[in-house]
Formats: sequence, C-alpha cells, structure tokens
Amino acid sequence: MFWRLLWKLLRGSRGRLAVAILALVSGAMVISALLNLELDVERKLTQEFRMLGANLVISPAQDGQTQMPGAASSALMNEKDVLPAIQNLNDPAVVGAAPFLYIVERAGKIPVVVAGTKLEELPKLEPAWKIEGQWTPAPVDQPPAVVGRNVARQLHLSLGSQLPLAYLDRGSEFNVAGILDAGGAEDNQIFVDLAQAQKLAGLPGQIGLVQLSVTGTPKIIADYAARLAASLPSCDVRPIRQVTQAEGELLNRIRLLIVAMVVLILVLTALCVLATMAALAMERREDVGLMKALGGSISRVVGLFMAEVGVLGAAGGIIGTILGLALSHWMGQRVFGAAISPRWEIFPLTIALMIAVALAGALPLRLLGKVKPAVIFRGE
Amino acid sequence: MFARLVRESFVRNPRRKILTAAALVVGMAVATSTLTIALEVGDRLAREFRSLGANLLVTPQADTLPVEIGGVDYRPVNEGAYLKEADLGKLKMIFWRHNILGFTPFLDVPAYYSGIDPQRSTNLGSLEARTNVTLVGTWFQHEVPVPDGTKFTTGLSATNPSWQIQGRWFADGTNECVVGASLASKYPQKFAIGKTVDLTNSEISSVLFPVTVTGIVASGGTEDKVILVPLSFAQQFAGHPGQFRQLFVSALTKPADAFSERDPLKMTPTEYDRWFCSPYISSISSQIKTAFPDTDVRTIRRVADTEGRILSHVGTLLWIVTLAALGAAALAVAATSAATVLERRSEIGVMKALGATNALVTSIFLAEQLMLAVAGGAIGFIVGAGLARTLGSSVFGTPAAPRLILLPVVLGLAAVVAFAGSLIPLRRAAHFDPAPILRGE
Repeated sequence: MFWRLLWKLLRGSRGRLAVAILALVSGAMVISALLNLELDVERKLTQEFRMLGANLVISPAQDGQTQMPGAASSALMNEKDVLPAIQNLNDPAVVGAAPFLYIVERAGKIPVVVAGTKLEELPKLEPAWKIEGQWTPAPVDQPPAVVGRNVARQLHLSLGSQLPLAYLDRGSEFNVAGILDAGGAEDNQIFVDLAQAQKLAGLPGQIGLVQLSVTGTPKIIADYAARLAASLPSCDVRPIRQVTQAEGELLNRIRLLIVAMVVLILVLTALCVLATMAALAMERREDVGLMKALGGSISRVVGLFMAEVGVLGAAGGIIGTILGLALSHWMGQRVFGAAISPRWEIFPLTIALMIAVALAGALPLRLLGKVKPAVIFRGE
Repeated sequence: MFARLVRESFVRNPRRKILTAAALVVGMAVATSTLTIALEVGDRLAREFRSLGANLLVTPQADTLPVEIGGVDYRPVNEGAYLKEADLGKLKMIFWRHNILGFTPFLDVPAYYSGIDPQRSTNLGSLEARTNVTLVGTWFQHEVPVPDGTKFTTGLSATNPSWQIQGRWFADGTNECVVGASLASKYPQKFAIGKTVDLTNSEISSVLFPVTVTGIVASGGTEDKVILVPLSFAQQFAGHPGQFRQLFVSALTKPADAFSERDPLKMTPTEYDRWFCSPYISSISSQIKTAFPDTDVRTIRRVADTEGRILSHVGTLLWIVTLAALGAAALAVAATSAATVLERRSEIGVMKALGATNALVTSIFLAEQLMLAVAGGAIGFIVGAGLARTLGSSVFGTPAAPRLILLPVVLGLAAVVAFAGSLIPLRRAAHFDPAPILRGE
C-alpha cells in the first residue's frame, strides 16, 4: 500500500516533479563537478609549478652546508652511489632528475663553464627553458653540445657549428646541437653529456650534484627528501627552499580562493534545491488534507512524502553526479589540457547531500500535522 | 487598475514574494561576489607571484662570459662591462613604470678573508692564508631618485621578499654586511652576528676593508654562499664607483599569449600599439631596452613562464567557476519564480474568468517579477560586495573593492532570470481553461 501510494504520487504529478528533478540534477551536477575539481586542483597546480625547475639538490656532504655546489674544485661524489638510490625509491612524484658535473674549460682562449649532465633529462627538469635545435639530436660523428645563448653569441656559434673544448692538455670536438635561452646563469654555460665531461676532466664516474624536480605539496617534497636522505647517508639532500616556499604560499592562496568560491556555490545550490522542494511540499497540502480526511495518521502521511522526496533526492543525485563528473572531465581538458580523473568518493557524498537537502526542503510538511483537513478543503 | 492589481498582490500575500526575493538576493549576492573576485584575481595573483623573485634580468651587452659556478664568479674584477647606477631612475620613466614593482642592482666582486679553507685557499708561506669568497653589493631598501623629481624605494625587500633574515639587514651606505646561511654555518665563529671581518680584494693586498656582520640570510639559492654588502661599499671595494653588473627587475605582467610572442617588427602599426600598450613581459622588456641602450634584457623563463601559465589557467578556472555560480544563481531564481507562478494558478483562473486577456495576466506577473528583481538585485549587490570584501581579505589580505560597473550587470541578470523563470509557467497558464482550475482540479 505504502509503495503503491508512493508510485502513484511520483507518477501523478509529473510536471511539478520535473521542476524538482531538474533543480536536484543541476544542483548535484554543479556540486560534484566542483568538488571533483577542488580535490584535483592541487595536484594539477603542483604539476604546473614544475615549470619552475629543480626543487631538490643532492650534493656531497663534505661540502658543508652549500646548496648549489658542483665546481670542479669542490667535493665530488660517485654517480654509482647516488643515481641507483633515486631509481630504487622509484617515486612517481619525481618529474625529472639529472646529475651535474661542472668544470671550467677553454673554448679557444675563452674560459667557459661546461656542465656535464644527462641531456635527455633536462627538458623534463626545466620545462621552461627554450631551445633552438634539439637536446638529443640524431647521432653524428661528434658528441652533441647545447650552448647557452650568451656563449653562442660570444663564441659566434650557430646550430651545427664545431666547438672545440679543452681542459688542461685534453681536448675534444663537439657539435652544437642546440642553443639555449633560459634567462639565467645557464645562458653562460655549455651542456654536454656527462660521460664526455668526465672524460675531459679526467674524473670518471664523478658528479658534483644531482638536481631533481619533485611534484607535490611542500610536505610531500620534504617527505621525499627525508626518504632520499635516509638512503644516501653520505650526501646532503636539501630542497631549494625559495622555490618550494613561494610555491606553497601561492598554492595555498589559489586553493583558498577556489574553496571559497566552491563553498559559495554549494550553499547557493543547496538553497536553490531547498526552495524548490519546499515549494513542492507546500503544493502537497491538499493531498495531505485528503489523506488525513480519509483517516491516514499524520506520521504515515508525512513518512510517505518524505519517502517521495528521498527518492527524488537520490535519483537527482545519481544523475547529477554522473553529469557532474563528465563536466569536471571537460573542465580539466579545457583548463589544464589533462583530464581530471573522477573521484568515486564524490558519489556517496553528493547523493547524501542531495537527499539531505531534499528532506530538509520537505520539513515544512511537518507543520501540516496541525492542519485541519476542513480548512484546506475550503481552499484557505 | 494595473498598478493597483500589482500593489494588491504584494500587500495581500507578502510571504510568497519573500521566497522569490530571498532567492534573488542570495543568487545575486553570489553572482556579484564571484564576478568581483574573478575580475580582480588576475591582478592579485600576479602580485603574489612576485614573491617568486624577479622576472627580468638586465646585463650589459658588451659583457664577457661570466665564469660562474654555484654563485661564485671566477672572472677578474677588471674584466667585463658595467652598468651605471645613476641611470636606474629611468626605469620608472618607461610607459609601464607603474608595473615595475621593484628592481635590484648586483655587483659581484671576488674578495678574500683570512682563514683556512682546505679546498679553496692558497698558502703563501709567510703570509696568512686567505680564503676566496664572493662579495655581492646590492640594495636592501634604497631610495632611487626618478628624473621626474620623485623618489622610488626599492631593493631586495621588493624583489626577493621570501628571503629570510636572522638579525637585521645592512643599512645603506655603511660597511655592514649580511652573510649567507651556508657560509655562516660553515664558519660559525667567524661570521657570527656582531663580528667584524677584514676583507681584502686580492690574495696579497694588505689594504683591509673591515665589515660588520648584522645578519644571516637564507635565500635557498646561490646567495647562501656569499657575503652581501651595500652596493656603495662593493663599488668602493672593487674600484668601480657608481657601477654594477646585473639588474634584476620584478614587473607585473600579463600572461604571455600567441600575440605577445610575435616579433614586434613584423606587426602592423595598430597591432604594435596594442602590443606596446599591454603589459606583456616582451613589451616591458623592450621598453627597458629602449631606456637602457647597450644592455641585454632577458626574461627569466623559469619564473615568467610558470607565472604566465598558472595565471592563465587559474583565470580560466575561475571564470568557469563563476559561470557555474551564475548558472546556479539563475537556476535558483528561476525555480522559485516558477514555483510562485504555479502556486497562483487559481488566481490566474479567476482573472481569466473575469475577462482578463492573456497579455494582461502576463504583464501583471512580469511587472511583479521586475519589481522583485530590482529590489532583490540591489540588496544582493550590496550583500555580494560585502562578501567579496571578506573573501578578498581572507584570501589575499586586502579587501576587494566593490565595482559599481557590476550593479547594472547584476540588476539586468536578475531581471532576465526572474522573467525567464516565470515565462514558461505563464505561457502554460495562458492555455489554462479557467473552469477546471476554479473547480480545483
């Protein structure tokens, strides 16, 4: 009997229910899309912040407290000690990692800083650097070198030029594969393969430092640094604080902003659904009057309407959440160029919220307990 | 008659009107505050991004290649080109001068202090062993005279606010110094706050330049290994009065787009004007280059590109969120207006039975909605402006100023939404047959 009445109620007033369902669906859609976006925005933004480049440096511990060491004169470490440790941790948060060995070599008569590194890792480590040419060109006879803009200008180099470099009595010829525009000290440097630099400097297997770009909140970065430090007792692992700190600060502001907007919209949407449901409930006054006149107990009558409203809330919530997740997927594509993966915890959250709001909207029905059927039937 | 009908409707059943009015107030308040924030966020965030440090670097064009590793320049002092300190005021005379938030000149000089460092020192027998260190002359807070007669205070406090100091910064024009954190922790006895260090400008010189340590700075970068001194001291020390080597500029910019990346020489005159009059980093740097001929103005890509990308993404995101807010507000208002019209079906029936035309019924309802929209929209605008103020101060520290330009927008939006919400049920009401409604069916 209860269920049959419920079914009749739902089928009987399709027009009005359509308005309520529309409100519930769009409310759930906006809420779930924004919640999904909010949960994902931090990850997306921390990824974008990797444009800032390396934020973690591993250096030999003997070099005291220095953070950017690596001169040929300062302490060195063995690449076989360090690089496997990074690989063993195999953390997906590491976007890029490259070892560096800096030496001062002579190009003709001019002294110039040469950085031996993994050329193929640099675009991942420093995505903001602009390069004319390629980091890793097709192999030619001579090993490739990427030269900074100032170096290219000073030494009159262009793509494909020959670049002789000498260190003490050793010398080697390089082929200019790329010209780098970094807007920093790197514009004055030459980047070659690590093995080539080690050979020239006579320091096989030695590196000065490793730079890493780790994505995540300042806490995740600090945790990763701590784990890395634990597996590398002879090295100094430290975050480049200026970057991580400013980044954390900015991230907080942006998140706070989005949270504030999302809360505003949540409240608004909830209010909108509430108003629609309240209007719907008030329209049911005549039904309530009729049921009471036929001898239905008030608790049973109200229970019936609550069930109706709950079913509406659940249906609206489910449809709305599916649409909302699709919406956030589209927003992710549009804003960040990468889809935002749906979070399943949003389903129960949104649906529960919708049912709660719908039930809250039906609360005025409780007042109907006091209503006398006769008054309602007279149309007052 | 028309006016009386409308007035009667308000007087007779104010409760019904309150629901629509409340929805309008809440909806328009949210619309106002999100629009205010969205309009303001680009500028606010761009300012926040300046905590990442400078985004432009000015160097002399004829400079030799700096041989710099880990913040230590191995180039001799008398090599390379310099810039003139006296010209710096010109930076505040360019077209986009108000977007130049700060600038800091740097002069690096190799210096030596007595003390033994097993890796860097050279033992000269009878002479005391000396250690090489880089001395960086700069400003912390310095007043620059601008050619138009005003003064502009700038320095590290403006370009690098995230550097942390223990103790205090050096005073301009003194022989005080601030030591980098790494250097200070390596030689804690030598570089404690309050100690005086004797510096010389070569390994064998006997002319001593005493400096007093006033603070220890942690920048997280190469500056942690150097000694920072007032620019005037470094100039005197290096024998280059009134000169410096590098200038870092922190400028408020608009995110770069395809247009800003184009070559200005290939633009049409109108395009060039648009480019010149937009605070793109490329146009600001070309204006700085015009003010300082013989220099190279470079974009610090790491900072500028990160900023541009995140700013444009957050901007798009916020506009989407704002649209969602507007949509939700519109929906809330439309739903309540629709509900009130539905509720008053019997009233419509009576009116029609008494001979009212559909047009009259519709115009009575729309007039009511319009009055509600104006009142609700105005109150919503005031509430929303207050909300935006609170939001602005909690997110960015300074309240967002109310924008009067949004008032007509919000009022128009309220009217459109209230109309749209009631039009559909009213159109259906036009088809009502009065008889069944009056019978109560």
